[in-house]
Amino acid sequence: QALSSRSGPSSILVSPRQKGNPILNGVKTVVWEFSDIPADYVLGATTCALFLSLKYHRLHPEYIYNRIRDLRGQYNLRILLTMVDIENHEESLRELSKTSLANNVTIMLCWSAQEAGRYLELYKTFEHAAPTSIRAQQSTSYSDKLVEFITVPRSINKTDALGLVSNFGSVRTAINAGPEEIGLIAGWGEKKVQRWCNAVREPFRLKQ
Amino acid sequence: MPSDERAPVKLSLPLEFQQDIFKELREEDELIIIARGLGLLRIVTNLLHSYDAAGNNLILLVGADERENVWIGEALAEHAAVSMSPKARGLSLVNTDLMSVGTREKMYVQGGIFSITSRILIVDFLSGLLNPETVTGVVVLHAEKVVATSLEAFILRIYRQKNKSGFLKAFSDSPEPFTTGFAPLTNMMKNLFLQKPALYPRFHVTVAKSLEGRKKAEVIELEVPMTEAMRDIQNAVLECVEASISELRKSNTGIEMEDWTLDSALHRNFDTTIRRQLDPVWHRTSFKTRQIVRDLSLLRTILHALLAYDAVNFNKYLDTVLAASQPPPGSTKQNQSPWLFLDAADTIFTTAKRRVYEGKISNTDLINNPNVVPDSLRPVLEEFPKWTQLAEILQEIERDSYLNPAPQDSSNGSILIMCGDQGTCSQLREYLQTMYVRLGGEEDEDDFQEPSASFMMRRRLRSYLAWKRDFSKVSSVLFSENEKAINSSTDQRIQNRKANKPPPNKRRRVRGGGTAVSGPSRTDTGAVRTAGDRDAHIASLMAELKPTEIESMQKTEIGLDPLENMEDYYELFDMNDLVIIHPYEGDMDEHVLEETKPRYVIMYEPDAAFIRRIEVYRSSHTDRTVKVFFMYYGGSVEEQRYLSTVRREKDAFTRLIRERGNMALTINPTNTDPQESFLRTINTRIAGGGRLAATAQPPRVVVDVREFRSSLPSLLHGQSIIVVPCMLTVGDYILTPQICIERKSVRDLIGSFANGRLYNQVEAMMEHYKSPMLLIEFDQNKSFTLEPFSDLSVSSGAASVVPDLQSKIVMLTLAFPRLKIIWSSSPYQTAEIFSELKKNADEPDPLKAVQLGLDPDMQGDEIRSFNQVTQDMLRALPGMNEKAVMTLILEVENLQELANLEEREICGLIGTDIGRRVYRFFNRSVWEDVAVPMLG
Repeated sequence: QALSSRSGPSSILVSPRQKGNPILNGVKTVVWEFSDIPADYVLGATTCALFLSLKYHRLHPEYIYNRIRDLRGQYNLRILLTMVDIENHEESLRELSKTSLANNVTIMLCWSAQEAGRYLELYKTFEHAAPTSIRAQQSTSYSDKLVEFITVPRSINKTDALGLVSNFGSVRTAINAGPEEIGLIAGWGEKKVQRWCNAVREPFRLKQ
Repeated sequence: MPSDERAPVKLSLPLEFQQDIFKELREEDELIIIARGLGLLRIVTNLLHSYDAAGNNLILLVGADERENVWIGEALAEHAAVSMSPKARGLSLVNTDLMSVGTREKMYVQGGIFSITSRILIVDFLSGLLNPETVTGVVVLHAEKVVATSLEAFILRIYRQKNKSGFLKAFSDSPEPFTTGFAPLTNMMKNLFLQKPALYPRFHVTVAKSLEGRKKAEVIELEVPMTEAMRDIQNAVLECVEASISELRKSNTGIEMEDWTLDSALHRNFDTTIRRQLDPVWHRTSFKTRQIVRDLSLLRTILHALLAYDAVNFNKYLDTVLAASQPPPGSTKQNQSPWLFLDAADTIFTTAKRRVYEGKISNTDLINNPNVVPDSLRPVLEEFPKWTQLAEILQEIERDSYLNPAPQDSSNGSILIMCGDQGTCSQLREYLQTMYVRLGGEEDEDDFQEPSASFMMRRRLRSYLAWKRDFSKVSSVLFSENEKAINSSTDQRIQNRKANKPPPNKRRRVRGGGTAVSGPSRTDTGAVRTAGDRDAHIASLMAELKPTEIESMQKTEIGLDPLENMEDYYELFDMNDLVIIHPYEGDMDEHVLEETKPRYVIMYEPDAAFIRRIEVYRSSHTDRTVKVFFMYYGGSVEEQRYLSTVRREKDAFTRLIRERGNMALTINPTNTDPQESFLRTINTRIAGGGRLAATAQPPRVVVDVREFRSSLPSLLHGQSIIVVPCMLTVGDYILTPQICIERKSVRDLIGSFANGRLYNQVEAMMEHYKSPMLLIEFDQNKSFTLEPFSDLSVSSGAASVVPDLQSKIVMLTLAFPRLKIIWSSSPYQTAEIFSELKKNADEPDPLKAVQLGLDPDMQGDEIRSFNQVTQDMLRALPGMNEKAVMTLILEVENLQELANLEEREICGLIGTDIGRRVYRFFNRSVWEDVAVPMLG
C-alpha cells in the first residue's frame, strides 16, 4: 500500500489532529513525527490507531464513526485507543463493544495519558516481534520451576514447596509420598496435604 | 399418601431446643442460624430421615462438604435401621464428574436423598437431566455462602421458578457472614427464597435451659504461662506484623486501611482480611505490596507454629522459611521481604535457635575453618509448659480414679485429649509414650519420676541435625546458579519398619483416634531419610546426643498407628484405660464424644464450639459425668483468638436479632415469572418498531460447563437468556453462530499468558469462528483499570526485558488482528454486553458448538477434563507445550503415574526433547549425592 512505503521504519506517524494531545508526552522511547494520515497514529505497516476519549464520545457520539469510515478499510489491525476518563463508562463501553465487531476495530482501554502513550510505544516496539513470550512458557531455572509446579494447588506457598522437596529429595518422591508422611512436615496442615495429594492422584480426564 | 407422611420415625433429638427446631422445620420453610457446636448436623439428619422414611421423594442436599456427606450418609443408614423403616433409601452422592450422565439420570428417576455438588446440579437442572418440578424439597447447608452471585443462589432461583410447592430449608452455624453489608440478613433471605429466619444463639432461652437445666459439666480452666523465649518470639513476630502493615500503608495510599491494626492482626485470618481489602486493586499493586501480603500469611503461620510445633520443629520450620525467602540471584535489597531486615526478625531466628541448642552453628564458621570443632555446642531443648501441665493432669486423673473408683454411670473412664490438628496429636502421642523414659543411668536413684520430654526432644534434635545437613545442600542445589546436570536419581523409599511390640514401660496404651493414621512410617530417627555426614560440628553435637542404651531400646514406631495390625491388637484395648488423642474436626467431634464416652476430657487448646459440644453431650446423657480440663497459654495469641471468636459470634447474633426485628415483611417475593420478565425486556428493546420476530425464539447462549464456576451464567439467566451448558472445546461462550468468546478474569489473564494457554485458545477460536472475542472481565467492586500504582515511567524503558500485562495484550492483538477485545467492569456488565451483542442475530447451535475443534479421532467427552489444577500443574512442567499437555492428558492417568514413568516412556509420548526435561524435573535429587543410611 501507498502508506507503508511512506512510514519510516522506526517512527510513529502522528496526524496533526493529535497535536497537543497529552498522550504524546507519554511517548518517550520511540520517535514520532507528524504526517498527513487518515488515522490518528500509524504504528506499523499494517497497524493504525484512533484515539477516543470517552468524555468526548459522550458529547459527540457520531465522531468516532466518521473517523472509522474515513479509514476506508485500510490497515489490518485498527486499534481504538479509548481513554476511560468518566465514571459512568458502562453504556459507552457496551456500545463500543458492539461497534468493534461491526466496524472491525480492536478496543484497547487506558486510564491515563501516560498509559496511552505507553501503548503507542508498545505497538511500535513489538511491530516485528515474534509473539514468543506469550506463546509458550518461558524457560526458567530449576528452582523456579519447582516452586511454580508445587504451588499450583491453592494455599501451598513457596516455603511449603521447599519443605516438601527438602524432605523427600525429589519431586517424584514427593508425589509418591502418602498424606501421613507429608503431614509431618512443618507448615503442611491437613488442608494443604489433602490438596496436594488430590492434585497428584486425581485423574486428568473424565472416564466413561 | 397421607399415611406415609406420618410414618413412625424414631428421632435422636434429646434436647428441647433440638426438638423445637425439628418441629418448626417440619411445618414451614425456614433459615436456621444456630451457634456453633449445638449439633446442627444432628438436626439435619433427623429432618432428612423423617422425609426419607416416608419414601417416594426426591430431596436435594446442597452445599454439604465431604465430611458432612459421610456423616449424613452414616447417620441416615443408622436411623433407617433404628426406625426399621422399609422405605428409607439413605443418601446418594453425586459429587464427581466421573459419574456419567446416564447413571445420574437413572438415579434421579429412582428418587431418594441426593447430595449433589452445586456445579453438577446446576448443569443437570439447566440441561434438563433433572427436572426441578420433580423435586420434593431442597435442604441447603452452609447457607452463609449463598450470596447473590453464588451457584447455590442460581440453583435455588431455578428451583423456585419451576417449582413453587416443594419445601426449602436452609442451615448455617456461622452467623458472622450474615452481618456484613447493608441489611445483610434481608438480602440473604432473598437469595435463599425464604421469608422466616430462626436464630438459635447459645444465649437463646430454650438453648440455655436445655444446656444448663440439668447437671452441668465440670470445667477446670488452666492458664499455662508461656516460657520467656516463647513470649519473646511472639512479641517479635507481632512487631514484624506491625512493621509489615505500616509498610503496606506507606506503599498503598488511597486505600481504606483504618482497621489494619495490630489488634486485628490477632484475629485468625488477618492476612485474608487484608488480602480481601486489597483485592479490588490487586492487579494494580506493586510486586512489593504482594510480597508483604504473602509475608503476612507467613508470619501468621509462624505465630501458629510457635504454639503448635515443638522447639526443634519450630526451628526447622524457620530454617525453611529463611531459605525460601532468599532473594533470587542478582536481585537487589528491594526485592527482599522487609520484615527480614528488622531486629525483631533476628530475635525470632536467634531465640528459636536458642530454644534448641546453644553455640554457633553458622555456615561462615564452616567455610572459614572447616576442621575446627566448636566446643561450645550444647543442646537446650526447651519443652512446652503445656506438656508438663498435661502430665500433671493425667497424674491427677490417675489419683482421682483411684480414690473414686467407677462411679455409677455409663461413661467408661477413658480420657479424651482434644488438640488443634493431626500434627499436635502425634506430638502429644509421642510425648505421652516417652515421658517416663529415662536417658539411662540415673533412673534407679529415685522412684518418683518427673515426666519429661527430653527423650523425645533429643530424638527430634538428632533427626533435625540430619535434616539440616542435607538441607544446606538443598538450598545450594536449588538456589545456586550453577545448573549442573545432576541425574543421580536417588529414590530412597523408606523402609517400612514394622516393630509393633508395645513399649515396655507404658502405663496406658495410647491409641490414635484419628481416621487417617495408616501408611508408611519413618525410620526411628523420625527423619524421612538419612544421609552422609559433612559438617564436623554437627558431628560433635551428634556425639553429644548419641542414643543411650535405653534410648536405642525404644525402637517402636511412635506417632503413627499402623492400622495393618489393628486386628491383632484391637480387642486388647480396654476402654477404661484408654487415652484418646483427637484433633478438633467441627461437627465430627460429636461422634468422638458419643463413641468414647469419656469421663475426662482435656482440651489441649481452647475451642469454643467444643465446649458447647460437651454441654450438649452432657445434657443429652444425664447418666454420664464428664470432667473437663481446659488449657491455654496466658497472654498468648491463642487466648486472644479464643476470646475474640466468642465475642464476635455473640455480637453477630445480637445484630441479627436486631435486624430480624426491623425486617420488612415481603409478601410473596417469588413473582419473578420468567415469561413475564422476558416479554418486558423485549418490549423495551423494540421501541421504534423493531423486529417482532425476536419473540419467536428466546435468546440463547451456549456456555462451557467449566464456566459454571463463575457467576456469569447465573447473571445471563437473570437477563432472561437461556443458558445451555455444553462441553466446549473452543471458547467459553457462544453467543451467535459467529461470535465465540473466551472469558478471562484479570488473574486468569495473567496466568494464561504466562503458560501460553491463551495463545492456543485464541488460535483455536480464530480457526473456527468468524468473530472471536476475548473478554477481559474485571471483578465487581474491583477497580476497573490495569494501571499499576507504581510509576509507569520507571518500567517503560525496560518494557521489552520483562513484559508486563499491557505489553502481552499488545502482542496478542498484533498476532491476531481479527481478535476483538471486550472490556467489562463486572460480570453484571458482561451480561448486558452479551445481550447487546446478541440483538438481531441468529441463535447459536449447541450441537455444532460442541463439535467444533474436536479431534475427529477422539470421542467428545473423553478429552474433556474438569480438573483444572492438574492441567495447570502439567503446564508448569519444564518445556511443556499445549500439544504435549494434550498427549499426556490422554495417555497418562494422573500426575503420580507420570512422575513414575521411565525416561524412555515419557520420551516415547512427548518426544525426546521435552520428555527428557520432564523426566529430569521429576527425578532430579536436591540432595545432590547419594545418601548413606546412618543413625540406627
